[in-house]
Amino acid sequence: MSAPQEPGCGCKAKPPENIGRRDFLTRATVALGAVIAAALSATGLGYFISPAFQRRDEDWVDLGRAGEFKAGSPALVEFTQRRRDAWVTSERRSSAWVVTADGKNFTAFDPRCTHLGCPYRWDAGSSRFVCPCHTAVFGPDGKVISGPPPRPLDQYATKIAGNRLMILPKAEKKA
Amino acid sequence: MKDCALAAYSWVCERTGLDQVWTALMERHIPEAKGWVGLLYTLGSATMMIFTVQAVTGFLLATNYVPSPDHAYDSVRYIDAAVLFGRVVRGLHHWGASFMVVFAVLHMLRVYFMGSYKYPREATWLAGVGLLLLVLGFSFTGYLLPWDQKAYWATVVGTTIAGQTPVVGAWIANILRGTDGMGAPTLSRFYALHVLALPALTAGLIGVHLFLVVWHGISEPPKRSPGKVP
Ligand code: HEM
Ligand code: FES
Repeated sequence: MSAPQEPGCGCKAKPPENIGRRDFLTRATVALGAVIAAALSATGLGYFISPAFQRRDEDWVDLGRAGEFKAGSPALVEFTQRRRDAWVTSERRSSAWVVTADGKNFTAFDPRCTHLGCPYRWDAGSSRFVCPCHTAVFGPDGKVISGPPPRPLDQYATKIAGNRLMILPKAEKKA
Repeated sequence: MKDCALAAYSWVCERTGLDQVWTALMERHIPEAKGWVGLLYTLGSATMMIFTVQAVTGFLLATNYVPSPDHAYDSVRYIDAAVLFGRVVRGLHHWGASFMVVFAVLHMLRVYFMGSYKYPREATWLAGVGLLLLVLGFSFTGYLLPWDQKAYWATVVGTTIAGQTPVVGAWIANILRGTDGMGAPTLSRFYALHVLALPALTAGLIGVHLFLVVWHGISEPPKRSPGKVP
């Protein structure tokens, strides 16, 4: 309050000789305030942007003992998938075609035809998947043999945990 | 660079009077009060600081909270268990809520015992009474939101107390609860009050309160008068 009021908006340059009590307290308050503000903001910012670094839990589904799937004869397995979406848990009934040629390596197919989504079936006589809607035919490896589908059957990721066959029922498109 | 900043600064303050606002707010005369008496004058600012923290942490909590009976509890647990710094943010809001009441009351006590509510500061006091009621409103509505046993039954008790009012009690209780008995509308209603109505009213009234504080200037600490007690 000592310096005379300058007209307009002059910048009040203070001679910084030796710091008085008042200046010291001002600076100490500002510094302490800045530290507190920084700690609080860092916490809040971390909380707010944490979804950027968060990986979603993978919802693997247990389809049963791997040894129970017979080589060469695909099986349609029904399962219940429990999905955790933050604070919401939802359940979905679904199914997958499980194919194995040797009882060791497994492939799981999305049960919907890649043409327009009809449920296809296994034809044991010809060892092919056939779709009733527009007569698509797929091989046991999922490749299109004939008919209108634009791509092979969609697959789900599979893995063996212990002796259980696990799948991740999220379609991976095979071009 | 420096010239540029200076030019920007003068552009703004020639058009807004920012420097004068700054002088009026930050360089105004305040009473000389030493030691812990001086400290008593900071209680209002402390309350305001907590309000700011509550506003920020409250916003953050709202990004993960659902005011619905089937998800409220789980969403609060999710904040505690799964969100980065979730426990810290929730803890800040939880303790800030208690300390805001404590500091508002301490501030009121200092104003009372120093006689700072007297002419011409009655309006400041009345705005303060309104602020205290709003702070208590925050406490009452916020307490229900976790939707756990304590929250639920505390609100049953609180609204039942309101229901004891003669004649109109049953109406008041139902208006508070939004339904006959407690239920989903109670939670939504308390949430709406807690995050929409109360913050807006509080921010506005703090503005009035602070304007009056600056307008009248801060009162001097009372002096021992040499006169005799009659
Ligand atoms: C949200 C709650 C409140 C906030 C943020 C707040 C803020 C403030 C601030 C920053 C001051 C400046 C002086 C000081 O801090 O001592 C002040 C002064 C004052 N407050 Fe409050 N206040 C609140 C609640 C209350 C309550 C509950 C009352 C009384 C019922 C009250 C009555 C007053 C009065 C009369 C003054 C003028 C004191 C003087 O001139 O010496 N305030 N308030
Ligand atoms: S939907 Fe399967 S062939 Fe058209």
